[in-house]
Amino acid sequence: MTDTRPVRDGGTLTVALNADPDKLDPSLAQTLVGRTVFSSMCEKLYDIDQRGTVVPQLASALPEVSKDGLTVTVQVRPGLKFSDGTHLDAPAVVTSLLRHRDLPGSARATELAPLKSVAATGPYTVELKLKQPYTPLTGVLADRSGMVMSPAALKKYGKNFTNHPSCVGPFKFVERVGGDRIVLEKDPEYYDADQVHLDKVVYKPIPDGSIRLANLRSGDIQVGDQMAPVDVRSSLTESKLQLFNSPSLGYQGIGLNVGNVNGTGEKPGKIDSPLARDVRVREAFELSIDRDLLNKVVFQGMYEPACGPISPESAIAPGVPAAQCPKRDVAKAERLLKEAGVKTPVRIEFKVSTSPESSRVGQVVQAMAKEAGFDVVLRPMEYATLLEETDAGHYDAFTSGWSGRLDPDGNIASFLKTQGAMNAYGLSDPKIDQLIADGRTAADPAQRTKIYGELSQRVADAHALIYLYRQKNYIVATKSVSGIKVYGDGLVRVKTAGYTR
Amino acid sequence: MTKYLLTRLRQSLITLFLVSVVVFAGIRALPGDPALALAGEERSPAALAAVRQSYGLNDNIVVQYGRYIGHALTGDLGTSSRTGLPVADAICAALPVTLELSALALLLAVVVGIGAGVVAAVRRGKPAEWFANAIALLGLSIPTFWLGMVLVLGFAIALPVFAASGYVSFGTDPLDNLRRMVLPAIVLGSGLAAVVMRQTRAAMLDSLSADYVRTARAKGLSRREVIGGHALRNSLVTVVTVLGLQLGHLISGAVVTEQIFVLPGFGKLTIDAVFTRDYATLQGVVLCTSAAYILINLLVDVLYSVIDPRIRLGGAK
Repeated sequence: MTDTRPVRDGGTLTVALNADPDKLDPSLAQTLVGRTVFSSMCEKLYDIDQRGTVVPQLASALPEVSKDGLTVTVQVRPGLKFSDGTHLDAPAVVTSLLRHRDLPGSARATELAPLKSVAATGPYTVELKLKQPYTPLTGVLADRSGMVMSPAALKKYGKNFTNHPSCVGPFKFVERVGGDRIVLEKDPEYYDADQVHLDKVVYKPIPDGSIRLANLRSGDIQVGDQMAPVDVRSSLTESKLQLFNSPSLGYQGIGLNVGNVNGTGEKPGKIDSPLARDVRVREAFELSIDRDLLNKVVFQGMYEPACGPISPESAIAPGVPAAQCPKRDVAKAERLLKEAGVKTPVRIEFKVSTSPESSRVGQVVQAMAKEAGFDVVLRPMEYATLLEETDAGHYDAFTSGWSGRLDPDGNIASFLKTQGAMNAYGLSDPKIDQLIADGRTAADPAQRTKIYGELSQRVADAHALIYLYRQKNYIVATKSVSGIKVYGDGLVRVKTAGYTR
Repeated sequence: MTKYLLTRLRQSLITLFLVSVVVFAGIRALPGDPALALAGEERSPAALAAVRQSYGLNDNIVVQYGRYIGHALTGDLGTSSRTGLPVADAICAALPVTLELSALALLLAVVVGIGAGVVAAVRRGKPAEWFANAIALLGLSIPTFWLGMVLVLGFAIALPVFAASGYVSFGTDPLDNLRRMVLPAIVLGSGLAAVVMRQTRAAMLDSLSADYVRTARAKGLSRREVIGGHALRNSLVTVVTVLGLQLGHLISGAVVTEQIFVLPGFGKLTIDAVFTRDYATLQGVVLCTSAAYILINLLVDVLYSVIDPRIRLGGAK
């Protein structure tokens, strides 16, 4: 969503984030809120537009891929300057890509693993050699892996780059006070500086939604990121506030342990529980849940029911629309349990995080599953503990979610591939593995849509990850501000923002 | 006096050492891998291993402790695993905020609490006492979070006199600083003010019925001299003890208050560190808070003798 009322130059915009970002280093950064800050100071080779289509940003055109899919050529826009005043050229892109791939602890290493080598073949031409055809690469370069860092700053600060980040962007880094604020100011060197109206942008972490809302009302902040449905509802009554929303590319659901005995990413084994043993029990559990009702009760109907890994809004290979999700069928669920020959009620320990929303999802699922013959026991735990327990395989069911990536592969591969880095379910299906590989190498969009359609069906049939809903990104801003852009990746873009005239 | 101080100082250092051991071991006993907490939703095994390696989490706990204390003695409290910022910097930035907040809350508690306590004792059985008691009961019963939100709604949104959040240092803009600090100070100080009021009232009632007060009255001293010079001065010993004990509550209360008003103080730093398993920051914060707490206790003990010279310190004749 965008707002195009004319704005005046000058002023400071304060954006409240729902958490404190982690390191401001594109290679190491791992949080969604961090991506929002990067959107103001670290541009990428590619970006997405309003419709979710990939468009060039620091690159001058979309990448050219060789016939065999193994060589990708990226043309970089000439005449760009980093915030430290140095020039952006092909060698700078090479330096950044190699750092993203090779730096110890890099969160980009997995997605750039198919990259064999990178070389500057001209002052503004970069050639990427791949180990195998890798279609998701463009989507990956439209995220943090596509951010180009100033080689001069990397050399000067080394590991400490996170405290002196220097990229190309409408705003440049000024200071960070941990837990309090990140301050950016307009970068006069920026190639599109005419479009930038604000003098300063301040990002403030305010984890509590009602406090974010109180601050929006009092005028202490102008933009509230990632507002919860309950706060959105109350902000709608406020005449000074406006609402932006965009569908999310991610999903939220319930992960079931079907074979995680040795830990995530390790070889799956056999688990002797009704859920893990018999797919009919898992199907019965899924059939006991009413996605629409869950959305209404917990999220005031403001999220989107979901039943697959790919958002129907995805520009690349759209997934199943909410209307086509399987409906609740208690009778069938009971029949399936009978066929499976399990003793009812089937006891399931469901680990949920301590957030109010997660707990309420757990309670609603508990109530609905009870009618079909399940005894769901809720185990609320704090997020870091939940991750540890589920990664180790110590669970029956847990709340599993993902913020979403542009390319469908980013929402599927790590989770559903045998021994995938985030396959905490212990799922192992050669057919799914094959379809994931096919989806990565297929270049034709129509063919990819077909592959991911088949893949989604196969995943749905496995019932190891029950997709429940997709969050929507709700951003509340004061009406005195215009020019904010919110796209499908959920980031608040403030490049063209300013105070109305 | 010097000998007493030295003994107390030695005890304090031992306490501090024990605190550091307990904190170090305690944090590591928490469930939740810091590398996982840090990685959040994106966690490749290689990245996790690199994180553990770079923060020395693979080493034996004794080795980790030795390294930590060695660095801490040189003033290096490590770097935050989440933000990569030096912990000492984060603490130095947070310290003035919490100190100012606590000082303002304390000031408020002392002024309002002692004032109301004296009035309640002197006006015993009159509406003034009833009113002061009622207010004190409210101050003790109202949850901090609720009071904070109500004050924000009332005085930052409906009647925008104060700010709803944020911190500006006193040096940068004194007026803006106060605009942002008054509400948090009220929230934090209200509970303490109520405790102080009750203690003052009780101690004053005792003093007012004591023989020395009757003697002072018989000598023909003015009402002000009797209440202020004799009764109150004697009552203050109890009040100071309570204040000293309550200071710990003040610091822990700051955790909630800082969350409500988004003040970048110690409390907020602590909460953030707990949730991200940011060991270095958490250790630094707890160590500094403990040091402050130990120091305050020491000061309170010394203050006794200043207020009431009859209280002799160990070793002094």
